[in-house]
Amino acid sequence: MTTLGNAIPRERKILSNADYHRRLARKRRVTFLLLVLPALVWFLAFMLWPLLNMFFISTKQWDGLALPQKFIFLDNFARFLNDKNLGVAIRNTGIHLLVGIPGVVPFAFMLGFFLSLRKPGYRLLRTIFFSPSMISVAALAMIFLGLYRPDGMLNSFLNTIGLSSLNRVWLANKSTALGAIIAIDIWSGIGFYGVLFFAALSSISEELYEAAQLDGAGYWTMMWKIAFPLMLDFFGVIIILQFLYILSGAAQNVILLTGGGPGTATLTLGYYLYNQAFLTQRLGYSQAIAVLIFFVGIAVILLIRRITSRLSNW
Amino acid sequence: MNTRLLRLNQKIRDGSTIFVSCGYILSIFYALLIIIPLYFVIVSAFKNNAQIITTPLALPSTLDFKKFIQAQENVNLLRALLISTGVTIGAELVTLLIAFPAAYAVARIQTRLSTVVEAIFSLGFLIPGLAILMPIYLMTAKAGLLYHPVALVILYPAFNLPLSMILLTSFMRKLPRELEESAVMDGGNVLQIIIYIFLPICTPGIITVMVLNFINMWNEYLFALILMDSNNRTIQLATALLRSSQRSIDYGLIAAGVVISLIPVYVAFMLFQEKIMSGMLAGAVKE
Repeated sequence: MTTLGNAIPRERKILSNADYHRRLARKRRVTFLLLVLPALVWFLAFMLWPLLNMFFISTKQWDGLALPQKFIFLDNFARFLNDKNLGVAIRNTGIHLLVGIPGVVPFAFMLGFFLSLRKPGYRLLRTIFFSPSMISVAALAMIFLGLYRPDGMLNSFLNTIGLSSLNRVWLANKSTALGAIIAIDIWSGIGFYGVLFFAALSSISEELYEAAQLDGAGYWTMMWKIAFPLMLDFFGVIIILQFLYILSGAAQNVILLTGGGPGTATLTLGYYLYNQAFLTQRLGYSQAIAVLIFFVGIAVILLIRRITSRLSNW
Repeated sequence: MNTRLLRLNQKIRDGSTIFVSCGYILSIFYALLIIIPLYFVIVSAFKNNAQIITTPLALPSTLDFKKFIQAQENVNLLRALLISTGVTIGAELVTLLIAFPAAYAVARIQTRLSTVVEAIFSLGFLIPGLAILMPIYLMTAKAGLLYHPVALVILYPAFNLPLSMILLTSFMRKLPRELEESAVMDGGNVLQIIIYIFLPICTPGIITVMVLNFINMWNEYLFALILMDSNNRTIQLATALLRSSQRSIDYGLIAAGVVISLIPVYVAFMLFQEKIMSGMLAGAVKE
């Protein structure tokens, strides 16, 4: 009697409980979607939709905003093969990468390690090293214009120390223009990534260093034998950031300072895309270059992720 | 035995001293490389062109504001400042308005959808600005918003959503579960929970996000360059334009523009240095 009497209401209760939970879960999902929707719509409309458009436009022959468009599928990509300027752009971007990554990342790491020792004055140094990252590309380019122009600070400095023979028109000289553009990124990059390394290195426990010190390791050994292996993943992150920046963002310095010149000396992949899109108005072709940049970026991200994860598992 | 240990210790200490001294020397050298150009620009803004060329690093003999006035006349810096301020405030508010509820949902409502949504937003880090520049130009033209600052108010939040979402969700995840449980018991709905409980508690996180977004939005150049015209220049466009506003380069003029454009960002940097650095680190790692 008692068992029966208890059993029926309990069963009903369990059923309604499951029902209740299902309804609650549905309600939770609806609330979730309503809250996420505005941000999601915004992001889809102004980031992913333009990205899809990049692919659409890259399949078109479209040589001017007011001119008709023609669907040519992959022909823009086939044109890559005969485009001498694209070859130059890839070469220049290659140089930028080969100098701009090894010229920044190892030094940033060492700088970050030195800061992480928290010797007197490290706070002030950190502020100084980080301050170039606060400067906009436009202001930064204008600052460097003051250094590089013919009667600018760099030449006047060379005159003062008696090296006037080294005077150059830095931005208008074929052999120095690309270097001058790359130098801007190195100048600000070491400090920026150095401070990021510093912050990341703060997560390493003191005990590890102390143990190493007992074994007779100096700072140099500690930096490369303890900090470096622990930072491998972070190295990957920094290399990816710098890579993506050089591939795309760095083109702004070219827009602001040299316009790809003199000749094609500073014609980089990113600048070539900008040039084709807005100056030459070969819209379809410009987006084919954009597709190239996009996929190179993704491929390199995957590659670096794979390398760092394999090295860390070692 | 003891002496050997002592000698070893001595050797390490010597090595460490050399390391630290080298560290200081290189750091100070690099610090000077950073400071000198910045110093050069600041003093140039107060000098005439002859002084800039002959004595680039000397302090200006008098505080001359002529270049600022001339910069104002040439490219209307004040109007540019006004437009940049308006765009930044508008875009900040839109970002917060859409990112905060979304971040709350992703961080605090348990559903499998939240991983999907997070993955979608993190795609944003893979999209190069240059690649979507032309499509966005076409969209803006189609919408009739070309050369209108509202276009930037609409676009900047989209560009800053990925970082804002990451920082806000990771901030909210650290808060205790009991926060909304007590509110639910009192019969509060989600909006009330967000506005009355989470908004005040998340103030530190919101400040970090707003400061980082401020720097990004104030400094943005590429999209403003394409989407604005001479009547609606942001401060970055005006600064860069000072270069060609004279027939030959007038560096004092450019320097005055640079100094003006840098002031707001440097004030933010001085006030929120720690937040900026930790926020940028979190953004970099999560990418």
